[in-house]
Amino acid sequence: MAAPFDLERLYDEHAQALFSFLLSFTRSEADTRDLLQELFIKLARRPGLLDGIRDERAFLLRLSHNLAIDLMRRRSARQRQHEQMAVEALDLFAAAHEPDERAFREALSGALWELPPEQRAVVHLKLWEGLTFEQIAELLDIPVNTAASRYRYGLDKLRQRLRPLYDEII
Amino acid sequence: MSLNTDDFEQSLQRQQLRQIPPEWRAEILAKTQHATRNIHHASFWRAIISTLNSQLSTLLWPSPKAWASLAAIWLLLLIVNASTSDRSIAAGRALPRPAPGRLMAWREQERLLTELLGTREMPTAEKTKPTATGPRSERQTEFPII
Repeated sequence: MAAPFDLERLYDEHAQALFSFLLSFTRSEADTRDLLQELFIKLARRPGLLDGIRDERAFLLRLSHNLAIDLMRRRSARQRQHEQMAVEALDLFAAAHEPDERAFREALSGALWELPPEQRAVVHLKLWEGLTFEQIAELLDIPVNTAASRYRYGLDKLRQRLRPLYDEII
Repeated sequence: MSLNTDDFEQSLQRQQLRQIPPEWRAEILAKTQHATRNIHHASFWRAIISTLNSQLSTLLWPSPKAWASLAAIWLLLLIVNASTSDRSIAAGRALPRPAPGRLMAWREQERLLTELLGTREMPTAEKTKPTATGPRSERQTEFPII
């Protein structure tokens, strides 16, 4: 059984990254909380889960990704459509003080939501977790080329969507 | 064109992600501990059952066939007992109590039948009853000797 302090340490070191990734993937704060909770309960129940793991962060991101995929599969198409409509107001980024910055973050959030989940996951892991394509491929259980192409397609879409605003701000 | 891939990527990376709500920490860790406690509870009972199992095994191991037959006999007795008691209760419940008028008529009928049977039986009883006419040796003397 993982000791409580171990869980606290794991939470303090990785919860923020897991939160951002899950929020980006699920587009739901409630789902993110449920999945995070599920993940920590899993860790508490199976203490040997992290034995011999070199990169805890990557392993936990992988676990959370798998849990999120399971959740999506459990959901019906109708539920997913309903949720898609309800996520408009959800913000992935911290509130900015400057109006331009705020506008850009809002637009970026919206553009990210429009990406397919698999592209969004790769873009998030590359940009905000700083992982290599090899690491992303291992984490998401996909070939390296697939990870790279998903990133390229995702980034192109973001660029197209954000171009007017980006040109204006920069 | 100001939108170079590197610049664009860097500008995206600079965007600060939203912070995890601070209250989630206590919430999630508390629920995790609760789940862990439940596991402790379950494992405690599992340990008790396992101990009991091992003790019983030690006790029954020398003659498992004898214990198994005893258990089978007990089971059979229980089944038989349960089935017979069920049947008698069911039979008792199934028969309705006769009405008092009908009961009276029935008793009257029974009395009459007893009387009738009683009067019929009398002659047959008398017929079979041997007459006390004295010893057979004396009767033989009545026949003339030719």
